Amino acid sequence: MYLLGHLLTEPVGVVHYMIVGAVLFTCGVVCMATKRNALGILMGIELVLNGANVNLIAFGSPYLRGAEATIGLDGQLMAMFVIVLAAAEAAVALAIALNFYNNFGSIDVDRANQLKG
Amino acid sequence: MNPAATLPAVLAIAWLLPLAAFAVVWIGYSLPQLAGRRPGATAQRFAGWLATSAIGSSFALSMFALVVWLAYHPLGGDEHGGHGAPPSYSGDYYLLAQFGELRLSIGYYIDALTVAMFAMVTLISTCVHVYSMGYMDEELHEVADHEVATSDGNYLHRPGRYHRFYQYLSLFSFSMLGIVLAGNLAMVFVFWELVGICSYFLIGFYYERPSASTAANKAFIVNRIGDFGMLIGLMALWTSLGTLQFGDTQLTARTSAGHVKMVVPIEQGIFSKLRSEDQHYHLDASAMVRSAETDESAHPGYWLLFVAGLGIFSGCVGKSAQFPLHTWLPDAMAGPTPVSALVHSATMVAAGVYLVGRCYPIFVPEALLVVAVVGAVTLALGASIAITAFDIKHVLAYSTISQLGYMMLALGLGGWVAGLFHLVTHAFFKSLLFLCSGSVIHAVHSNDLRHMGGLRHKMPWTAYTMLAGCLAIIGAGVPIWGIGFSGYFSKDAVIEQAWSFAGANPSPTYQLLLYVPIAGAFATACYMFRLWYMTFVGEPGHPHRFENAHESPPSMVGPLVVLAVFAIGVGWHTPFMSDLSVTSILEQARPAGTQATTSGTLLTELTLPDEHLSHEPEIADPASQSAFFAALLGVLLATMIYVWRWLHADEIRQSFAPIYKLLSNAWWFNELYQWTFVRPTLALSRLFASIDRWVIDPLVNGLARLFAYAAKLLDRVVDRGVVDSSFDALAHGTWDVGLALRRLQTGRLRQYMVFLVVGTLGLFAIASLCWKYALAG
Amino acid sequence: MNWTSCLFLLCSLMAGGFAVAVVLSSNIVRMAFYLVLSLAATAGLFFLAGADFVGAMQLMIYVGGTLVLLVFGVMLTAQSQFVQMRTSSGELLTALILGGALLVVLVSTAINVPAWQPTSNPAVDSATPVITATPIGMALEGYRVDQLTQPDTALRRGMSGYLFPFIIVSVHLLVVLIGAAYLARAKRPVVERMR
Repeated sequence: MYLLGHLLTEPVGVVHYMIVGAVLFTCGVVCMATKRNALGILMGIELVLNGANVNLIAFGSPYLRGAEATIGLDGQLMAMFVIVLAAAEAAVALAIALNFYNNFGSIDVDRANQLKG
Repeated sequence: MNPAATLPAVLAIAWLLPLAAFAVVWIGYSLPQLAGRRPGATAQRFAGWLATSAIGSSFALSMFALVVWLAYHPLGGDEHGGHGAPPSYSGDYYLLAQFGELRLSIGYYIDALTVAMFAMVTLISTCVHVYSMGYMDEELHEVADHEVATSDGNYLHRPGRYHRFYQYLSLFSFSMLGIVLAGNLAMVFVFWELVGICSYFLIGFYYERPSASTAANKAFIVNRIGDFGMLIGLMALWTSLGTLQFGDTQLTARTSAGHVKMVVPIEQGIFSKLRSEDQHYHLDASAMVRSAETDESAHPGYWLLFVAGLGIFSGCVGKSAQFPLHTWLPDAMAGPTPVSALVHSATMVAAGVYLVGRCYPIFVPEALLVVAVVGAVTLALGASIAITAFDIKHVLAYSTISQLGYMMLALGLGGWVAGLFHLVTHAFFKSLLFLCSGSVIHAVHSNDLRHMGGLRHKMPWTAYTMLAGCLAIIGAGVPIWGIGFSGYFSKDAVIEQAWSFAGANPSPTYQLLLYVPIAGAFATACYMFRLWYMTFVGEPGHPHRFENAHESPPSMVGPLVVLAVFAIGVGWHTPFMSDLSVTSILEQARPAGTQATTSGTLLTELTLPDEHLSHEPEIADPASQSAFFAALLGVLLATMIYVWRWLHADEIRQSFAPIYKLLSNAWWFNELYQWTFVRPTLALSRLFASIDRWVIDPLVNGLARLFAYAAKLLDRVVDRGVVDSSFDALAHGTWDVGLALRRLQTGRLRQYMVFLVVGTLGLFAIASLCWKYALAG
Repeated sequence: MNWTSCLFLLCSLMAGGFAVAVVLSSNIVRMAFYLVLSLAATAGLFFLAGADFVGAMQLMIYVGGTLVLLVFGVMLTAQSQFVQMRTSSGELLTALILGGALLVVLVSTAINVPAWQPTSNPAVDSATPVITATPIGMALEGYRVDQLTQPDTALRRGMSGYLFPFIIVSVHLLVVLIGAAYLARAKRPVVERMR
C-alpha cells in the first residue's frame, strides 16, 4: 500500500524492480508447472530468466543505488551472459521439442514419461 | 430516576416476560393436550403472537434500559481510563438459601456488557419469533413428515406443534437472558443448563426423525462433558474464595419485624477479591490460598486459578462448540432453521464466549493462552470443513464454529473488546445468514446446495439480504477509507490483536496464532461465496425444485431486512454521535485491570499486549490490509470456480482426493470419538454385563483353559511372531520403501516443477526458522 | 509527478500484466505474442535503469532472435489439438497456491531489506546520461574502464574484465547451435532406409 501510494511521486528503488522481477519469476514458475505444451514450458523458462535479469540490472543501476552500493557494470554484464545463455538454451530446448514432436507426433509433455520409475 | 434501582427492575421484567409467555402457553395449551384436547389453528397462532409480543416487549424494555444506561454513563469519556473498575450494579433479587458461607441467590450483575447483550439477544430473538410465524406455518395443521416412514410404508402424519415451538423459544429466551443477567456463577450454571435443555428440546423438535433425536442426545451429552469441567472450576473458585458472586453485593436484609431494610456490610465478589483496588487491579493469586505457610515459589494460588480458569473454559468449550467438543453443533442442524439461527449461531453458542468475557478477570495469562490455542484450532478446523460441505446448514454451522474460534482467539490474546465485539456482529450476520438459508430451504424443500442455483431471480430479497450477510461475515470493506460492513470492523479488531500479540511474542510458535486467523479470513470468504454462488448464481441444479421456488412471505422477509440493516451497520459509529458505537459501549464494560500489558508467571516469555496498542496505525494498517487481501483472494477463488468456471470443482476434488475425504468427513472426528469413547464404553458395559451373567460359571475351568491358551499363544507369538516375522518385516520394509520411492519418479515434468518450488519454499521456511531460533540468538 | 516513476509504472505493469497473461492464456500462439510484449516491456525497464546497451540487446537477441525461434517452434508444431491443451484444475490450483506462496516469500524478502529501499543520493543523478556500450565492450575485451577510479586496491586487482567468460560463452553458443542443428534435423532418410 505504501509502495503503491507513493509510486507516482517518489523515486523508484531497487525494491520496485525486485517486485517486478518476482512477479515475472513467479509467472514463469507457474507457467512451467501448469502448461502441458513443451513450448509453453519453454516460455516459462524465458520468463524466469527475465525475472532474474531485472534484478541484476536493478542491482547494477547507478540511478537506483548509491555510489558505494551499486555493483556497476557487473550486473549488466551478468545480464548479458544470461541473455546469451537463454538464447542457447532456447535453441537446444526447441531442438529437443521438435525431435520429440517428430518421434511421438505430439508436443504434450505428459506423453514423455518413458523414463518413469 | 435512580439507575441503581431502575435498571435491575427493568431488566428483570424484560427477563421474566418470556417466562410468563412460556407459562401461559404451557398451562393453556400443553396441559390440555395431555388430556387429549387439541388447540385449533387459530388458538395456536395466538400462542405465537403471545410469545412474540412478550419478547417484543422485552426488546422494548432492553432498549429503554440501554437508553437509561447511556444517559447515566456517558460513553467515550475516560471515566475509568483503564485504571478503575467499570461502572456496574450488582445485588440480589432473592436469596434462595444460605449454607454457611455459600449463599445461593438470584442476583444481577449489570454493566454495559449486560445491557448490550440484552438488547442484542432480545432483538434477534424478536426477529426469529416473527420469522417463525411464516416458517413454522405448516405446523398449524396436521403435518406429513417426509423424512419419517411408518411401518406400513406411508409418511408419518402427526399433529402440528406450532405452540410447542413458541413455548420452547420463550423458555430459551428466558434462560439466555438469565445467563446474561446472572449475578453469580451458580446462577449462571443453572441457566447454562436451562439453555442446554432448551437446545435439546429444539434440536429434537422433529423427534420422530432418528437423526433429530440422536442429534439432540448428542448435543446434550457432549455439553455434559464440558459442564463437568465447569463444575470443577466453580468448586475451585468457591473453595478458595468462598463466594461465587461476580461483583460486590450490598447485602440487604429485612428485619424480622417488617419492611425496614438494613444494609449489611458489603460482601466482596470474585472480581474484587482477585483484583482488589489496593493492588491496582492486578491479579492477586495469593487470594486463592487461605493458609499462609504455603511455599510461595510453587505458585499454589496461581495454579488453582489456572485450574479454575480452565474449568470454566471447558464449560464454554462445550457450549460454544470449540475443539474438541465441536462435533455436536453440525448435528444440531437437524432442528428447525429459526432455531439454528437463534440458538445455534447467534445466542446460545455465543454464551460460552460471553462467559469467558464475563469471567475474564479470573483468567491467568497461561489459561488465556489455552483459550487462544483452542480458538485457533477450532477456527482452522471449522473453516476447512465448511469449504467442502454440501448441506447449506452444515456450511453455516461449521462457519459458526470457525467464527466462535475467532472470538475465543481474540479473548485469549488479550483482545477483550475485539472478541465480544465480534460476538455481537457475528450474532447479527450469522442469524441473518441462517434465516436466509431457512428461506431458501422453505422455497426449494432441500438442504443440498447441489439442488439450488440461479435462485436470485426467483427470490431477490433473500438473495441480496444474504449477500449482505456474506459480505459482513467475510469482513468486506475498504481499508483506505475505513468503511465497511460490520464484520470488517470486528474481524479487523481480532486480527489486529493477533498482530499485536505476534509482535509482542517473537517466538515463531506464537506467530502461528497470527497466521491462522488470516488464513481463516481467506477460507471464510471462500466458503461463504461458494455458498452464495451455488445457491443463487449459475444454472438451477434441480429444474423441478427451481420451478416451484418462490419468494418467502413478508413475515419472513421482514426480519431478514431488519437483520441485514444491522449486519451492515452494527459496527459503525452512530452518525452525529461519534462516541456511540458498540465498541465504545463494550469498552466501558472492560473489566478492571485486564487492559494493561500482562505477562505470564509460569510461562515468563508470554506477553498479552494491551488491547489499545493494537489500534496504533503501524499495527492496525498492515493487519487490516492483510485481512482484506486474504478475503479478496478467497472471493476470487470462489468466483473462479463457481462463476467464471476456470477451475472445475470436480477435478480439484479428484486431485486432492485425500484432503477432500478428510474434510468432507469432518476430519473423522465423529468416527474417532466413536472408536475411542463410544465403542469402548459400550464394549466395557457389555463386558460387565457378561461378567454379571457368567459369574457363576466354573471359574477354575476357565482359568485353566486360559493358561493353556496363553502358553500356546506365547509360543506362537514369540517363536513365529517375533523372531520369524521380524526378518520378514525387514525384507518387506525394504521392498515397500523401494516401491514407495519409485512412485516419486512420476515422469511428469510439471510435477517435478512443483516439487522444485515446494523444496524452495521449504528451504526458505527452514532457513527463516533457523534464523529466528539459532542464528539470531 | 515523477516522470521516471510514471514510465516505470507503465513498463512494469506491461511486463507483469503480459507475464500473467502468458500464464492464464491456454492458446500457445497467443502466449508467444504476450511473451514478446512482456519481454519488450522488460527492455523498457532496462532503459529506465540506465542499462541501455543491455536493453538494446534484450530487444535484439531476445525479442528479435530467441522469440522468433520460439514462434517457429510454435508454428512447426501447431496442430489444432496442441494449440490449446487444458490442464486439470487440481494441478492449476496447486500451482497457483505454490506460486502465490513463492511470490509472497520473494516480495516480503525484497521489501524487508532496508538497503533496497529507494535511495535519496543515487550514484548518478537521473538527468545525467550513463554511457554503457563502450565500457561493456571494453570489459568483454578485458579492460574495466569504469573501475579505473576504484579506490580500493583489493577491488581494483579483480578488474581483469570478462574476457575469459566471454570466450567460454562464445564457444558454448557455437557448440549449442551445432548440437541443436544436429538434434533437430529431419529423420526422414532413416525412416526411408528402414522401409
